[in-house]
Amino acid sequence: MENALLIGLSRQMALTHELDIIANNIANLNTSGFKADNALFAQYLMPQASDQSFTGQDRRVTYVEDRASWIDMSPGAIQHTGDPLDVAIDGNAYFVVQTPNGQQRYTRNGSFSINSTGQLVTSEGYQVVGDGGPITFQSTDHDVVISPTGMITVREGANANDSARGQLQLVSFANPAQLQKSGGSTFTAPANVTANPAPAGTNVVQGAIEKSNVNGVGEMARLIELTRSYTDVSNILQEQSDERRNSLSQLAQAPTSS
Amino acid sequence: MRALDTAATGMAAMDLQVQVIAGNIANMTTTGFKSQRAEFQDLLYEHVQRIGAQASDQGNILPVGIELGSGVKTVGTPRLMTQGTLEQTGNTLDVAIEGDGWFKIQMPDGTFSYTRDGSFQQDSQGRIVNAEGDIVQPTITIPPNSTGLTINQQGQVSVIPAGSTTSTVLGQFTITRFANNAGLQANGSNLFTATVASGQPQDTLAGTDGAGTLQQGYLEQSNVEAVTEISNLIAAQRAYEMNSKVITAADEMLQTTSQLMK
Repeated sequence: MENALLIGLSRQMALTHELDIIANNIANLNTSGFKADNALFAQYLMPQASDQSFTGQDRRVTYVEDRASWIDMSPGAIQHTGDPLDVAIDGNAYFVVQTPNGQQRYTRNGSFSINSTGQLVTSEGYQVVGDGGPITFQSTDHDVVISPTGMITVREGANANDSARGQLQLVSFANPAQLQKSGGSTFTAPANVTANPAPAGTNVVQGAIEKSNVNGVGEMARLIELTRSYTDVSNILQEQSDERRNSLSQLAQAPTSS
Repeated sequence: MRALDTAATGMAAMDLQVQVIAGNIANMTTTGFKSQRAEFQDLLYEHVQRIGAQASDQGNILPVGIELGSGVKTVGTPRLMTQGTLEQTGNTLDVAIEGDGWFKIQMPDGTFSYTRDGSFQQDSQGRIVNAEGDIVQPTITIPPNSTGLTINQQGQVSVIPAGSTTSTVLGQFTITRFANNAGLQANGSNLFTATVASGQPQDTLAGTDGAGTLQQGYLEQSNVEAVTEISNLIAAQRAYEMNSKVITAADEMLQTTSQLMK
């Protein structure tokens, strides 16, 4: 009898986690470069009570366990912004950014700007890493052009020729699902995951930004399914509880009737 | 329940998004206005089960973990510093900058502000001032009864003084550039001030060192694009609704649980 309650409870715990994940996805519906999370559940087989001798056949019970959350790395929609320092990646690759303490992170959010010292940075102020370290602009630079391969060229002062300012470093991963979210639309690579140069044919688009890949309709459907499922489990628990109460009260009446 | 707080951050973010859009739409016809965009990022994650943790004594590594996010934050409202379209006004003291750079304006307290709004006037002493009466730098005084006021592409202001037939150069507008235009602080009245993020102001002249050139008789329109703003508004409104649905769902689930106890 208690098993039914505990199994129901394990399902409800898992559903609560899934709700947290959906809430986070929907909260980030308009976050540039955001990748949606999904929950993955597994059944957990209760170990058999084999060291005890039972006369009846022992049945195994299974619980629900939230096994993992996996990141949906599919590309988001590309929105045109017109800002010359906005860059979207067309292809399976990531920009490399560097935090103030020297840690390298990866992001699909190409909403860049120039800081007071002329360096190309993310909106959090992390340096964008180019082929030769941080990308630095001179104070007289204007007309920034970023080529599909990520090459950044500018016109310096009254000079009529382009001057190169570096090339955006693009990396890819054999299994991007192993990346870990670190907030600020950035990912970190665990110790055993290495970044490879992006495959040929990966292009960047200047003046555009990658939107969040959260599918609002899909998330709403999941949300409805989840609340219904939660209510169903609650109803089962309710019935179990009623059944238990009834049997107890009937058993209590037994001695008086005989 | 975490979902309640997470959805609340989403609603707050969309509220801010609508505020930014409202500001843009309200300034659709403001001279020299630069549209803003709200930039969001996801908040920190709780790693319930860390990726790459050991799953067993045999050294199995978990390929995926459990990460629970805690919502969204607004990281900034950068301005889109693109050129607005130039509208011909025919007014001799209307000047537009075509390209990078800002007009330098001296405020009544002696500090400097910067603007792209070149709808200038003359004050009672003949000085060239902006619509608020603040002096455009450097101070250029137009002698009374002079005619033929011209401002060339390099910002040189010249007039034909009364009783003369040849034009005289009165001065040349200062054009200021910044390393990071988006880091300027907006102070209303189309005026911006320098901040640590924008970098030091670099005074130069129109047409040199990367600064744009000037167009007399034109004004720079706002760079707000109505279609973009309206589509962003729809998206923000729908996202707000969806976040509120999550709160309703979390509430219903809590209610279901509380009804278990009789």
